[in-house]
Amino acid sequence: MSKLSSNDFLILAGSFHGMHAITKQLCPVPLTPANPSGNAAILAPTPFGSRPTGIEVLESSHFRMQCFQTLTGTKFLLFTEPQQPNIDSMMKKIYELYADYVMKNPFYTVEMPIRCEKFDRGLDGFVKVRS
Amino acid sequence: MVLYAFYIFDRHTECIYSRRWTPRPVSSSGKNARPQSGSSITSNGDTAAVGRRGMSQSDDEKLIFGLVFSLRNMVQKLGGEDDTFLSYRTGEYKLHYYETPTRMKFVMLTDTKQNNLRPYLHQIWANLYVEYVVKNPLAPVEHPGGVAVANEMFEAGLEAFIVAVLPA
Repeated sequence: MSKLSSNDFLILAGSFHGMHAITKQLCPVPLTPANPSGNAAILAPTPFGSRPTGIEVLESSHFRMQCFQTLTGTKFLLFTEPQQPNIDSMMKKIYELYADYVMKNPFYTVEMPIRCEKFDRGLDGFVKVRS
Repeated sequence: MVLYAFYIFDRHTECIYSRRWTPRPVSSSGKNARPQSGSSITSNGDTAAVGRRGMSQSDDEKLIFGLVFSLRNMVQKLGGEDDTFLSYRTGEYKLHYYETPTRMKFVMLTDTKQNNLRPYLHQIWANLYVEYVVKNPLAPVEHPGGVAVANEMFEAGLEAFIVAVLPA
């Protein structure tokens, strides 16, 4: 992967956000309701109807990008080799690290660049164990 | 497997051939069946549905072209000049992409379980597009507005190819 400046990252993040929204719009199939089972009426009606998800996996000849969106809209992008197995569980683990070391950090301001040493170390350790 | 749509774009960003196998979701029943609570939290999804309804076929084509163009540029920026964008998948569908050396873009939308269709898109280009459109002596060099792409031979060949190579 090429080395990018932080300005390039901002540009890519901005355009990815737009592309993610467009992929939602392009959904060619009518959505199936989120609760296909018969007892849907008994459950409390959810304000979040079934909505199309945006890009989840992007494949290119050199890499594979997994996008995971949390319920609050934060997107995690994980770039791996094209043949990397069980990315879903890795993503969950990284989400855990994020929740533990970033969101629970009292000095972290929301929606600012993450500068938490423990998160960096946890992520490094997690990736090193894997590879 | 399910095919949703197939598009060919020329190097002037124009869609010269498009084909959909599913009707456009004009107003999905899921939206109407939803409880009309009228709270502000649902308004986001509803405006999206309204916007969707107002969109025409050609708007779809433009959106797809813009999308694959940006994705291709993003992939080249991240992976280097020799990297190529192959496909992406969402929860509902998968988009396959093939670009010829002359910058023609072939795009196919299928269900999510499909493996990479790039070899098939290459075959559609080599065996159908080149044979029946490029080698057609009556066809112009460029195809403004899709002129002479959707001829009988090409349509029949595409239909036969899809039935033979991508069985349901």
